[in-house]
Amino acid sequence: MKKFIVWFSLVFGFAFIATVGQPTQQVEASEKTYTIATDVTFPPFVYANSNNKYVGIDMELIKAVAKKEGFKVEIKPIGFNAAIQAVQSGQVDGMIAGMSITTERKKTFDFSNPYYSSGIVMAVKKGSKVTSLKQLKGKTVAIKTGTSGADYANSIKKKYGFKTVTFDDSDSVYDDVKTGNAVACFDDSAVLQYGVKTGLGLKIVTKPTDTGNYGFAVRKGHNQVLLNKFNKGLKALKKDGTYAKIIEKYTGKKAVSAQKKSSENSSDSYTMLALLKQNKSAFISGIEETLWLTIVGILFATIFGILIGLLGVVPSKIAQGLSTTIIYIFRGLPLIVLALFIYNGIPSLTGTKVPAFVAGIITLTLNEGAYIGAFVKGGIEAVDSGQMEAARSLGLPFSKSMRKVVLPQGIKIMIPSFVNQFIITLKDTSILSVIGILELTQTGKIIIARNLQGFRIWAIVAVIYLLMITVLTLLSKWIERRIKN
Amino acid sequence: MSEYKVNVTNLKKNYGANHVLKGIDFKVANNEVVVLIGPSGSGKSTLLRCLNKLEEPTSGSIVIDGQDISLSSTNIDKARENIGMVFQHFNLFNNMTVGENIMLAPIELGKSSKDEAKKQAKDLLETVGLSEKFDAMPSSLSGGQKQRVAIARALAMNPDVMLFDEPTSALDPEMVGDVLEVMKDLAKKGMTMVVVTHEMGFAKEVADRVVFMADGRVMEEGKPDQVFDHPQNERTKAFLDKVINV
Ligand SMILES: Nc1ncnc2c1ncn2[C@@H]1O[C@H](COP(=O)(O)OP(=O)(O)OP(=O)(O)O)[C@@H](O)[C@H]1O
Ligand SMILES: [Mg+2]
Repeated sequence: MKKFIVWFSLVFGFAFIATVGQPTQQVEASEKTYTIATDVTFPPFVYANSNNKYVGIDMELIKAVAKKEGFKVEIKPIGFNAAIQAVQSGQVDGMIAGMSITTERKKTFDFSNPYYSSGIVMAVKKGSKVTSLKQLKGKTVAIKTGTSGADYANSIKKKYGFKTVTFDDSDSVYDDVKTGNAVACFDDSAVLQYGVKTGLGLKIVTKPTDTGNYGFAVRKGHNQVLLNKFNKGLKALKKDGTYAKIIEKYTGKKAVSAQKKSSENSSDSYTMLALLKQNKSAFISGIEETLWLTIVGILFATIFGILIGLLGVVPSKIAQGLSTTIIYIFRGLPLIVLALFIYNGIPSLTGTKVPAFVAGIITLTLNEGAYIGAFVKGGIEAVDSGQMEAARSLGLPFSKSMRKVVLPQGIKIMIPSFVNQFIITLKDTSILSVIGILELTQTGKIIIARNLQGFRIWAIVAVIYLLMITVLTLLSKWIERRIKN
Repeated sequence: MSEYKVNVTNLKKNYGANHVLKGIDFKVANNEVVVLIGPSGSGKSTLLRCLNKLEEPTSGSIVIDGQDISLSSTNIDKARENIGMVFQHFNLFNNMTVGENIMLAPIELGKSSKDEAKKQAKDLLETVGLSEKFDAMPSSLSGGQKQRVAIARALAMNPDVMLFDEPTSALDPEMVGDVLEVMKDLAKKGMTMVVVTHEMGFAKEVADRVVFMADGRVMEEGKPDQVFDHPQNERTKAFLDKVINV
């Protein structure tokens, strides 16, 4: 029994070190690299172009500043909310995402000098009769979480008597207005103007109010060097005309009509096949990431699960209690909560960054591992206790009896559950999109953010998942047959 | 060291508030065959299972071959190598062939090489009359055949003592004879045996001593004809009446 615990802690400890201890890919270059988080889509400030490269005012600005000031940036497009949490937990060094400077935010962020001024406007569906705030009484308004448009809407919703519905990304907000679920939405004027001009199907009906400034942000009291560099760089860019060029590039007449044309042109090439072709490389890297998460996740979850399961059948009350507790906790926690906790919560406690992929693997290991542990334990317990007694009565020690007699029979009972759990693991990787891992689901979200082809892209993503699951099932069945014979 | 192969003194076993063994004194001499009888729930299986510590005794001492196995300092795995056990439900390892069942312990515990173990397994199968079943899976055997394999498996470790817990109760009547025959042979060869059974014929023919248990106590013991034909204890009489009438 002691041997078991030692063995357990050795393997688990090793696996843990192997994942967590992985160097956080810090390139030892002469130039310092800063990790900057941003939104998934917030055109014209940040969005993915047709090659899935992140572009926009914010992207060009931060890169130009970096060049001027001699540092490197690694961009993490993880969504506005996730970005805020990532900065607060220290997972990233700063964020630039069309973020308004507010007194509220100043409590937890240090902001750069403003790099853009914008105001909040209301937009409605083309052809809608709603033109003023008064007409919103009793209606629903769509907003995006954490934005100043949302703050503004919330601040006036009592006064004008409307309800709000919140989304994580701008496209869902616009979609909700277009489908008529919501009658209006509030967002920054630059964003909505850009959207309207590029054929969003919405129109702006109010003047910009609540004007505010956009700033680059770091965690309060941290990364002051970076903040100073940004301010210095911004000043220089304004002086040498680069700043004006960038703004003109994204908000000038030419930019907007070019973008409009391209989206109109491609609208007739929005067949499934065309969409697949256009986004081939994005889909492939999304699939790769999903497969990596699945394979590595299954591997660690299986090791962890088997150890937890074995711990649960060792004749020791302490070991069994430990096993039951671990299963109870990690099976009980929603995967999404666990992922966010590990990715954002742990770094803010310990001060060490956890790369998203590693956080994802730890999440899968703990959650799927707990399920595996439960059925490994169940599978062993399902083997007639007489088998263990007969082995022990011959003088075989516990571990040998387990290995030679009980486990081989238990595994047969467990195999269908394993196959099932592998499939669930593959599907569960999609939840890891919340911590910004660019797996298949997140890839889908980003592509839709660009081309607004929600239905078709989700259909493609669904088919890809089904294909992967079919392959995984066939593979599992093949292994199952091999083990049974 | 001791003149007794098995020497149990004041053995008590509780399951919570349920006192199953209430102070048992029980001795088995070298080469002796003892048959344990008694009504259901009297604690026969519990006593037998304490003898190889499948059950942890609550108090008392259990000395086997001069070694007190109730002490936690005793290496119980080593001690069990010398105590063979045969179960009511055979408990053959379902994931192994008959041959592998028999060879597992000798090989794993380093008693013999693979070749030796194989030769020994074949010999043992021959003694129990199943030499052609070496490669068969347990699931393909009849109950009587399974039990004979189980006996062969226990014998493969060359134990000094064999414990049998109702070895024939799960068998169809026509299978019982074969298994009892194997056990009789074993007794003739001088094996020390403790047998829980309801086969009174076997007890009369083979046992050196019969021990009657009831309510967690030894009520009466003696030579078979003495216990069966002239029982002293009321409980023994009542029990025998029932068994013989059935
Ligand atoms: N693991 C256990 N937990 C609790 N009580 C038990 C356990 N094993 C046996 N008992 C109880 O101990 C008592 C004696 O059981 P035991 O199996 O020793 O009787 P037995 O004489 O072998 O009976 P039978 O002839 O029916 O096999 C019974 O009352 C039984 O309910
Ligand atoms: Mg019994």
